[in-house]
Amino acid sequence: MDEKTILRARDFWTSIVLFVASLFFLFQTSKIPFFNSASAGVDSAQWYDSAALVPFGIFGILLVLSIVLFVISIRDGGAKVALSAVGLDIDLHEIKRLFSISLILAAYIFALVPRVDFIICSALMITALIWGYHRGFRPVTYIATAAVIVPSLYALIVNFPQSQWGKPHDDDWFTLVSFLALTATMFVVEFRAKKIDRVIKVTPVVAVLCPLILVLAMAFGFRQNVPNRTGLLFSQIEYNYYVNLRPLWQGKK
Amino acid sequence: MIDFVVAQLLGFSSALYILVVDPITYVYLIPAVFLGIVFGALPGLTATLAVTILTGFFGNKFPLDQALIALIGSYVGAIYGGSYPSILLNIPGTAASAATSMDGYPLTKKGLGGEALGLTTTASFIGTLFGTFCLLIFVWLLLIVSKNIASPEKALLALFGILLSGTLMSQDLVIKGWISGLIGLAMAMVGLDPLLSEARYTFDWSYLLSGFQVVPVLMGAFAIPQIMDGMREAIKLMKVPHVGRIRPEAREVGRHMPTILRSGAIGTGVGALPGVGEDVAGWVSYGVGKSMSKEGDQFGKGSKDGLISAEAANNAAIGGALIPLLVLGIPGSPPAAALLGALKINNVIPGPTIDPALILHIVAILVLASLTMLLMGLLTAKIFIKILRIPQTVFLPVVMVLTTIGSFSVGGGINDLFLMIGVGLVAYAMNKMHYPIAPLVIGVILGGLFDETFRRSLLISDGDMTVFFSRPGAAILLTLNVLLVLSQIPAIKKMFAGLTDKFKRKVVK
Repeated sequence: MDEKTILRARDFWTSIVLFVASLFFLFQTSKIPFFNSASAGVDSAQWYDSAALVPFGIFGILLVLSIVLFVISIRDGGAKVALSAVGLDIDLHEIKRLFSISLILAAYIFALVPRVDFIICSALMITALIWGYHRGFRPVTYIATAAVIVPSLYALIVNFPQSQWGKPHDDDWFTLVSFLALTATMFVVEFRAKKIDRVIKVTPVVAVLCPLILVLAMAFGFRQNVPNRTGLLFSQIEYNYYVNLRPLWQGKK
Repeated sequence: MIDFVVAQLLGFSSALYILVVDPITYVYLIPAVFLGIVFGALPGLTATLAVTILTGFFGNKFPLDQALIALIGSYVGAIYGGSYPSILLNIPGTAASAATSMDGYPLTKKGLGGEALGLTTTASFIGTLFGTFCLLIFVWLLLIVSKNIASPEKALLALFGILLSGTLMSQDLVIKGWISGLIGLAMAMVGLDPLLSEARYTFDWSYLLSGFQVVPVLMGAFAIPQIMDGMREAIKLMKVPHVGRIRPEAREVGRHMPTILRSGAIGTGVGALPGVGEDVAGWVSYGVGKSMSKEGDQFGKGSKDGLISAEAANNAAIGGALIPLLVLGIPGSPPAAALLGALKINNVIPGPTIDPALILHIVAILVLASLTMLLMGLLTAKIFIKILRIPQTVFLPVVMVLTTIGSFSVGGGINDLFLMIGVGLVAYAMNKMHYPIAPLVIGVILGGLFDETFRRSLLISDGDMTVFFSRPGAAILLTLNVLLVLSQIPAIKKMFAGLTDKFKRKVVK
């Protein structure tokens, strides 16, 4: 099937999503005062300076364009093939791979970074992505995804509320064990397959050094905020920096 | 006029001198240009990403004049760096260098890779200087004109930027570019509105009251799709061919000087169009070169003229892209949009009120950055060639960590990361369906300006819509907007095509 028809099949669905989204946001916009808005008994706006004016225009035009896209997709034969996987050019293997990448990234951002030490969780994510996708072997991809998902679920379930994010918890240890286990598995599997190449050798070094250097540079060099300062490793680094190292080069020790 | 140019050059010389004698300049400049070239050279990483990531790092915690050295240095480096994989591997490192591969790779196959890299380096250097010179001159002329620009013109100009970007950046249907721009505009509507502080689409989440922050949106839109796309494909081992001497012959450069200057002019012009950027500049210049060059029939088969046409133009576009950015606050390219993000978080408002010293400082940085790029390109090219051997699966996870910490540090904390990944997933889906991402980002950046100035125009005129065509500037801009939209309507397109055919036949008769 040619690329244009595949694109039009996807456009068919996109136009429906856009149409529904435009309607939803037009409804939301209707809640913003438009004609003769008044609050606390005082006239606050005319239609021409209402906060709803531009959004009405945007979502109105989006609605029209979604209809135009819908018509184009039907005219170019997209609608005919829109219900088949072939028409949408869906490759199940590719979808699985993409889904697992999305899962790892989402777990890293939504579950790990807010709750777990940044160096440890980044090391785990880097190892999982490099090893899991370096050669594209499906079992390896599944192991790597699981190694990120399991500690993420633990951190998410045990320390879900935002009030718990900044406090030290055992989810740091859980993630650290997961990282070590994944690294060990990687070496065992690759050693057995006799495929230990330069990328495999360098993975743990990149995984640990990269976030470590970045966090140190950001926190102590660039003096910027870093995620989870109470994390297992960073709290120790910060403590030793201010209590032992800094006084040392300031001549106070 | 000559007095004006001389005064400009004197002001620029003074700014350049201050920059050159300050040792801190080199602390920022050398690593930034190096990092930029690396980002450009690694397929999957882009100039926009380099500037965006550094914006996250330098944010608003560093003095702006120092942060700008790093940001502009990486911008210049990355646009040039994209030529390495284009020439050696036939894989464009950045979209800006896609046209470079047309002749760069055939030259490598002929065993002239080293010479091609040398020529590219020099052409990029001269192209950047050309664009910078135009920036120095035209930015002031336009600033004088822009003093007469009021809210109606600003609103129409912002709209023109989004529409033009959507029109020119679309690979598939033009309406996809417009939809992308509208989604960006819609995203800019989130939060308290700028005139009445009315909460819009916050869904009772206090984080959204301040609207979508620029840096996480940029990171999400440009980094996450690159990471997902790069990781999606299994390892591709890149065999980098042997490259000989990387030093261009002065005679060879002299022979191609007309092409370099022509491409520089095209690049600057295209770069100055709001929201268009270096990739379009490269292709337009390549197309013009093909029709104008004596060796036009050799384009695509390893023509040095073809190579230079693309490379000089994409680097000249940098200076061009900064003209609308500094004059009107409308970015000329996606990396310039990231640069605008950096200016915004430092509370610098580009436009008629911009500090003149800042413009001269930027021009001086551009000159120094292009010189650093030239030296690095000629002396350390072998390092960049070695970097091409690093597989995407190794550096993309590192980029993920970079974007995460960069996005987090700008100020919004964890919520900014949620926004980044959300925008990233949407941008990835849009990429797959051939929706350009640049109009979305430009929509997010210009949406606030459009909303405020559009409503302010109506507020001042008491709701009278004639304010958008009773002023000469506004009337011209409104006409441009209308023509841009009309020109994409199929019926009108057909009508124009028919008229053109008739005209051609009459001319032939």
